[in-house]
Amino acid sequence: MDTDKWFSKILDEPLNELVQKSMDEGQIPIGYSCSYVPDVMLSVDGLFPVRMRATGIAGTEIADNYLSSVICSYTRSLLEFALDGRYDFLRGWVFAASCDHLRRLYDNLEYLKRPGFSRILDVPHKTGNAAISWYTDELKLFAKALTDNFGVDLSAEALAKAIREHNAFNAILREIGEYRCGDKPVMTGTQYHRIVVAASASPKKPLLPILEKILDDLPKRDPLPAYRARLLLVGGHLDDPGYIGIIESQGGLVVGDRLCTGSYPGLQPIPETRDPIEVLAKHYLTKTSCPRMMEAFRERAEDIVTLARDCRADGVVIQILKFCDTWGVEAAAFVSFIREAGIPVLRLERDYRLGSEGQLRTRIQAFIESMGK
Amino acid sequence: MTTTKPGLSDYLELNKYRAINLMNISRMAAKHGPLNMHRDLKRYPWIWDLLQVNSLLKRLVEGRSGNYRTSVAMVLGGVVEGVIELLEGIFYRSDRLILHEDLLPPEIFRAMGLQPWVPELLGILLPMLVPDTMQKYLDAAESEGVPPDICSLPRATIGMALKNAFPEALAIVSSNMPCDGGMSSYTIIARQMKKPAYWVDIPFDFKNERALDYFAGELKDMIAWLEKNTPGRIDWDRLKDICEKRNAMAELELDIWDMIRHRPAPMAAEAIWMSHLWFFNINPGYDTSIKLFTDLKALTQKNLEANVSAVPHEKYRALLWNPPTLHYIDLMNWAERTYGVSVILDSMSFNRQPFIDTSTPDSMLKSLGNIIMQGPMSRHTRGPAEANYFPDIFHMVKHFDLDMVWVAGHIGCKNTQAMSGVLREKCRDSGVPLLVIDYDLMDSRITPKEGIQEQVGNFMENIMKAKRLD
Repeated sequence: MDTDKWFSKILDEPLNELVQKSMDEGQIPIGYSCSYVPDVMLSVDGLFPVRMRATGIAGTEIADNYLSSVICSYTRSLLEFALDGRYDFLRGWVFAASCDHLRRLYDNLEYLKRPGFSRILDVPHKTGNAAISWYTDELKLFAKALTDNFGVDLSAEALAKAIREHNAFNAILREIGEYRCGDKPVMTGTQYHRIVVAASASPKKPLLPILEKILDDLPKRDPLPAYRARLLLVGGHLDDPGYIGIIESQGGLVVGDRLCTGSYPGLQPIPETRDPIEVLAKHYLTKTSCPRMMEAFRERAEDIVTLARDCRADGVVIQILKFCDTWGVEAAAFVSFIREAGIPVLRLERDYRLGSEGQLRTRIQAFIESMGK
Repeated sequence: MTTTKPGLSDYLELNKYRAINLMNISRMAAKHGPLNMHRDLKRYPWIWDLLQVNSLLKRLVEGRSGNYRTSVAMVLGGVVEGVIELLEGIFYRSDRLILHEDLLPPEIFRAMGLQPWVPELLGILLPMLVPDTMQKYLDAAESEGVPPDICSLPRATIGMALKNAFPEALAIVSSNMPCDGGMSSYTIIARQMKKPAYWVDIPFDFKNERALDYFAGELKDMIAWLEKNTPGRIDWDRLKDICEKRNAMAELELDIWDMIRHRPAPMAAEAIWMSHLWFFNINPGYDTSIKLFTDLKALTQKNLEANVSAVPHEKYRALLWNPPTLHYIDLMNWAERTYGVSVILDSMSFNRQPFIDTSTPDSMLKSLGNIIMQGPMSRHTRGPAEANYFPDIFHMVKHFDLDMVWVAGHIGCKNTQAMSGVLREKCRDSGVPLLVIDYDLMDSRITPKEGIQEQVGNFMENIMKAKRLD
């Protein structure tokens, strides 16, 4: 099997073959759109999570009428897809009140197209004890709503099982990721991102054997041909591996990422305890560290610098979705922080839909040349 | 309908308030001394813009007469006094100065003996006085990498911090209100000013006891943090006194709101929105604020009893949704004279939780928290829109007998932009004419005042079938 082609096909449609197969087996797909939604709670027996994407979207004409054209194109694309019936296979969706754009998307969806189950989680903007306690209560209410609506078991035991499976699955993904950042990488950032995004857009159970096979095969692969620079890719929502493909086509190998939809911090293991809800609240609140979390700029910036050093990146590329307020403002501060740490940094703005490829190529070329590579 | 036109007494009234403003400014300068004043004018060049207040006064009272004209002049005069007090805070009480985000409760800071300064304040005041004055700050922020699509208020505030335009403060307190742009701006402001900063978290879904407890806890933690990082100490008796006086202001304001339900309205525009914006957000609980609302109520009452319309020839009554058009603040005055439109109330003033329970410290914190969560900007940018945003608009239309909704569609306000599509459909279904003005809050390069006039004119003439009065 040509895994690259297979994963590309999986990413082509929200309703991919794995989703369809699980639905045929009686599993219920629930959409979600943000890393603050504890997807593991949607992974108990009977349910499976599908991270909402709008792959291949051609335009957002109808969504623009409602959300306006100054809202982030990811949310506009989701609305367009929803209005186009592309998520009709989902039995419900879960949003997080994580940013103005997602909140307003939820408001518009409540008016325009409401599925059988619809919820928005009230995520605090801090990570202290009061915030964790708040989010714990929020998740308890969420668990009850899921049980009431779908009759699924979200007891401590059921959640503990889901967490164990989630951790095991993510451990394999992390292990695969090691093969893109060694001294002699055997896998590109594009290939790895394709797998990670597919894992969030598909049920995990049927995907697991495929990942295990990849992991077995990776040590046998030849190292990649020479590249010009090692890059760390930073930013929010990026679910199109093609974007990384363009960066890598210019010789900048993406050896690490810090993306909402990437490997770090999303694949970090969840502590396994007897009181999973509180642990989940703490884990999801503290691990994601989106710029929407107040008081944590320095930790986020230091995290990027540490990650860049750990994966021996020559430079950092920050890519943000145009109109994203939180990443937009904070990226300005990241740039100076990372530069002060002596690491070259490039900041790029993009639309959700892949475009302006020529411009992106030129910016990457110039960045790599500016590093003397 | 009885209406009035500016007469001799109106001109005398204008000159009286001009003189009062000048006298207050001169007194401040004399007290500070010429050398200190010279130094601070160099340090804070925006003070020059503030000195243009009498030019704003002239623009705001143009064509207005009687008690309405007096009220507008009186409100602006009160703002001048308030600004002078803030400036004197910079001059003489810098050892107690803190910066705080504009929706946090000044009542608490005052009760702690701190001198609050709102960084956003200048971004609100200055464009009213000198329409293009914020452009240099907007450009400074953009040069530093802040995206141009971020709301121009936090963007200009960032620009001011980058240009060292704010006074040195002991500490900074911010929050996640009212929007992501505002919240994020404090990351850069705190980093630039190198001061300790604290953020207060307000829940998204705020209409329940759990949210109230959480937010009151946040306010308690904020007080503890300020006590650790500043010389400020909470004085609960003082807070009680401030809150009780604020309650008195709210009672007076509600009485005025009751009177403006009458058609034609005995009071409108700045007398309503500017009085709320300044005195409830900057000077709540002041004796001078109570006096101002007492006088405003008396003038409104007089007009009501005499059946005098604030706006001569009031033909239409409008709700203004979103902050007023700062760089063209005389829009309301122009619309009054051109089409007989009376802007009765606005989203920045309207609130549903005006009173504070002063029985215990906890009850005060909870009430203050509720005022913030249920208050302008905060309420309309969180909680499901179906529960807060639309019901408030249609309640106001009905309660105040309004003929139309004007949304000041500030391009940077993504919260409002993203609701305009649904609002359009809901207004159409309810038969409420809706105008969305495309513009930027403080950057006249996006839409100059002529562009705003054209949009209003097209709406009034094509949708409302209005004829120009001039």
